[in-house]
Amino acid sequence: MTGVIQGGWEFVIAAYTITGIALVVYGISLIVRLKELNKHD
Amino acid sequence: MLAAALRKELLLQWRSRGQMMAVFVFGATALLLFSFAIGPNAEMLRTFSSGFLWLGLLLSSTLTLAESFHGEMENRALEGLLLLPSDPRALYYGKAIANWLQLTLLGCALVPVMVILYDAGTLQLLKLLAIIMLGAAGLSAPGTLYAAMTSQVKAKQMLLPLLLFPLIVPALLASVKATSLVILGDPMDQSKAWITLLAAFDLIYWSLCGLLFGRVVED
Amino acid sequence: MNRTSNAPYAVLALGVALLLFGSFHGLAVAPAETYMGEVQRIMYVHVPTAWNWMLAVLWAFACAVAFLFTSNMKWDSRMEAGLEVGVLLAFLLCCQGSIWAKPTWGVWWDWDPRLTSVAVLLAASLGIMALRSFVDDPMRRAVWSAVATIIASVDLPIVYYSVKWWNSLHQEQSTPQTVDSVYHLPLRVNAFGVLFVMIGFIWLRTRVAALKLRQETAIPHTYEEAGELA
Repeated sequence: MTGVIQGGWEFVIAAYTITGIALVVYGISLIVRLKELNKHD
Repeated sequence: MLAAALRKELLLQWRSRGQMMAVFVFGATALLLFSFAIGPNAEMLRTFSSGFLWLGLLLSSTLTLAESFHGEMENRALEGLLLLPSDPRALYYGKAIANWLQLTLLGCALVPVMVILYDAGTLQLLKLLAIIMLGAAGLSAPGTLYAAMTSQVKAKQMLLPLLLFPLIVPALLASVKATSLVILGDPMDQSKAWITLLAAFDLIYWSLCGLLFGRVVED
Repeated sequence: MNRTSNAPYAVLALGVALLLFGSFHGLAVAPAETYMGEVQRIMYVHVPTAWNWMLAVLWAFACAVAFLFTSNMKWDSRMEAGLEVGVLLAFLLCCQGSIWAKPTWGVWWDWDPRLTSVAVLLAASLGIMALRSFVDDPMRRAVWSAVATIIASVDLPIVYYSVKWWNSLHQEQSTPQTVDSVYHLPLRVNAFGVLFVMIGFIWLRTRVAALKLRQETAIPHTYEEAGELA
C-alpha cells in the first residue's frame, strides 16, 4: 500500500456528487416518462 | 441430422471460397495496420504480436459470422429449414462447426503474416494450432447464435460486434496469453492454465448457445 | 400490485432518506482512515453501489430465465427495468472507481478485476439494450434479449476470473480496502439506501416498460389513434 494520502476531499466530493446527480437525473427521467405514457392512456 | 446440416454448410462455404480469400486479405491488412500503430520497433511488435493476431481474427470474424446466415435470409430459407422435422439444434451446431472451421483456417492463414510482420515465429506448431482451434471455437459458438439474431435485424453490421465483443473477453484474454507464451517463451508453464480456461469457456458456451438457439429462431 | 399505487415512490423516498443520513455520517462523522485519509470515504458510496449492482444483474438474469419458462411479458418488462438500472449502477461504479483510483494508484484505471468485469458487463448490457431498440416485434424482442441476458450473466464470473488471472501476472493483487478498517454504520445505512432507491427505480421502470408495451400492441379505436401509433 502507498503511504498516507493527504487531502483528497475534491475526489470524495466528486464521487458523491456524480452519484447524487446521476440518481436524481435518472429518477426525474422515470417520472417524466411515466407522466408521458399515462397521458396517452 | 447434424451430419447433413454440416455437409450443407461446408458445401456452401466451399462455393463461396472467394469470399474467404477477401476476408483473409482483410485480416492481413489489419495486421499490417496494427504495426503502423506501434511503429517499426521490432522488439515491441514481437511482444504484442499475439494480441494483434487475435484482434485481427476477431475483427475478421465479424465478417464471416455475419455472412454465415446470409443464405438463410434469402427466400425465407430459414423458415423452410425450421419446418423440416429436424432439431433446430442440428442447424445451430452445423453452422457453428462450419464457422469454427472457417475461423481456424483463417487463424492459421494469418500466422505466417504474423511471423513475417512481427518476427514472431515458433516451433510449437501443434500447440499453436490447438490454441487457434480453441480460440476460434470460443468465437464461433456465441458468434453463430448472435449472427442468427442480428441477420434478421436492420442494423445487423453494428449489432453483431456490439453484442459479441464484450462477451468473448475471457476467450480473447486466454487466447492472447496462451499464444504469447508460445511465441515468447513460457518458463513457468503457464500456458496450460490459459488453455484450460479457454477449453472451459468453449464447453460452457457450446452447450449454452445450443440450448438457447431453438428459442432464438422459433416463430 | 396496483399499477397506480404510490408504493414505489415511498420506497424511493425511504432510500433517499437513508442515503442522506448514511452519507452525512460517512462524510462528516466517521473519522478519516489511517492510511487512505479522506479518500476512503468514497467507499461508503462505492461499496453499496457495487453490492446493489450485483443484485440488479441477478434480478435481470432471474427475469430472463422466468420469461423463457413462462413466456409472460411481465417478466420481460421487469428484465428491461433491471437491465437499465443495472447500466446506471455500472456506469456509477466505473465513475466512482476511477475517482477512487486516481489519488490511490495515480491512474484513472488500474484494471482491477472487479471494476473491469463491471465495465465488460456494462458494454454487454448496452449491447442488449441496443438489440432491443432494433427489434420491433415484442415477443421476438423479449426472447432474444432474454437469451442475450442469460449469456451475458453467465459470462460475468468467467470474465472476473480471467481478468483476475490476467492481472495477477502484472501486479500483486491489490484490492481496494473495503470493509476492514471502515466504520460500519455509514456503509450499512447507504447499502440499504441504494437498495431501496434501486428497488424504487426498477419498480417504476417496470411500469414504464409495461405501459410502452401496452401502447405498442394496442388496437387503435379511432383513425386518430392509428395515426399516432403508426
